[in-house]
Amino acid sequence: MAGKTIVVTSGKGGVGKTTTVANLGTTLAKKKHSVVMIDTDIGLRNLDVVMGLENRIVYNLVDVIEGKCRKEQAMIRDRKLPNLYIIPAAQTREKNSVTPEQMKTLCGDLSAEFDFVIIDCPAGIEQGFKNAIAGADTALVVTTPEVSAIRDADRVIGLLEASLLKNIHLIINRLNVKMVKRGDSMSTDDILALLSVPLLGVVPESEEVVVSTNRGVPLVHERGSKAGAAFRRIAARLNGENIAPDEDGSDGFFGRMKRLIWN
Amino acid sequence: MSLTESSPVQVKADRNGFILVPDPAATFESIVEYMELRLEQSHDFFHKTDMVLDLRARSLRTDEIASLYDKLYEKARVKIVEVRLSDDLSFAVEGELRRLRGSRRGDAEEAQDPPIVVRNTCRSGVRIVSPSDCVILGDVNPGAEIVAAGDVVVFGTLRGLAHAGAGGERSARIWALSIEPNQLRIADLVAVPPKGGKPTPKRFEVAEIQNGTIQVVTA
Repeated sequence: MAGKTIVVTSGKGGVGKTTTVANLGTTLAKKKHSVVMIDTDIGLRNLDVVMGLENRIVYNLVDVIEGKCRKEQAMIRDRKLPNLYIIPAAQTREKNSVTPEQMKTLCGDLSAEFDFVIIDCPAGIEQGFKNAIAGADTALVVTTPEVSAIRDADRVIGLLEASLLKNIHLIINRLNVKMVKRGDSMSTDDILALLSVPLLGVVPESEEVVVSTNRGVPLVHERGSKAGAAFRRIAARLNGENIAPDEDGSDGFFGRMKRLIWN
Repeated sequence: MSLTESSPVQVKADRNGFILVPDPAATFESIVEYMELRLEQSHDFFHKTDMVLDLRARSLRTDEIASLYDKLYEKARVKIVEVRLSDDLSFAVEGELRRLRGSRRGDAEEAQDPPIVVRNTCRSGVRIVSPSDCVILGDVNPGAEIVAAGDVVVFGTLRGLAHAGAGGERSARIWALSIEPNQLRIADLVAVPPKGGKPTPKRFEVAEIQNGTIQVVTA
């Protein structure tokens, strides 16, 4: 059976697309699924850095597309998980060295071999975005609770719908629970009312994310992290498991008690 | 001109009437010229008939379709009733062309055009222009633009930009279940909502021009 091809996109830059890709890919691989992550941000690659695999790059996505190497040669195996691979983007090329048709073919080939193909989309809505979404059957739109990020997410959802990609889910990243309680930040409900797409999960704001990115080890490897736990829940939902919704501080006493008991 | 295989338009007949099939290689001018000649040569035969324009092989621009429509009608009262764009896509011409011509002339008949109905949420980046009224069955999100010569009706929350009476009609109004936009425009006036909270509407809200300024009335 063909695997799932998932594109992680946002429109706005810096909302956590690459972090999401790295953590979801790692979690799914830990659950014994075979996973390949593709960095389509040609010219501004950084999925390899987040995964701590920068020094192993020999071939890249454009080499595969141009036939300079086989796709197996460009796939870099993760340091910890033998069933997790990444295909890095080319750093010295431009976005238009790849076409949507070529991406479609590559994604089709990969999804025949892997359970999950996760595509890291570049910011923006130009050529790179069109390449990234071409081969995907599911889209995860990442946004932060800021008006600018939500505005861009809305535009991106419109473009995804226009390209007939119907399976769209939302991930709210860097939600600051304290600020929501104070009324200084948009809540999950506010964002959902505006974007009206199904919510896959909420990731709380956390300093650990920055630390893990700088160390090149995805957060989900660490047990105590709340953000890591949120990514694990999102991965489980992506895998079809039915898991209770994430907290955003608005569900009061009962939710907090449940969280105390669970952790 | 002889009516042979190489003619720019083939006129076919079936049970329901005539079908015009323009040749893929024909220029628009040659199509019009040929049709005029053909109607002249057999004036009575085609008089007051209905025709289907088959554009599956040769596509025409909307203004070309409109011009061909006018020419055929003037010449022999021939009406193009349907335009076939592909095997599963065709549209009845009557209303479409009248709207095209109405908006070009800008005369009174455009107010009678059927409204444009949009059956989903308008997200950022969408721009909808209606020569008459515009009805949105969903929200209008920030970054979307709805421009209508008549009224704008939103069965949802209006957060984007709405311009009613874009042709200068000051009596046009904007209706929505909730109006929370960045900017409202009616005819030549622009309004920005006041800062701070606003009362939640019970049923719907209407924006209209009262005493020369745009007012939002909660109903």
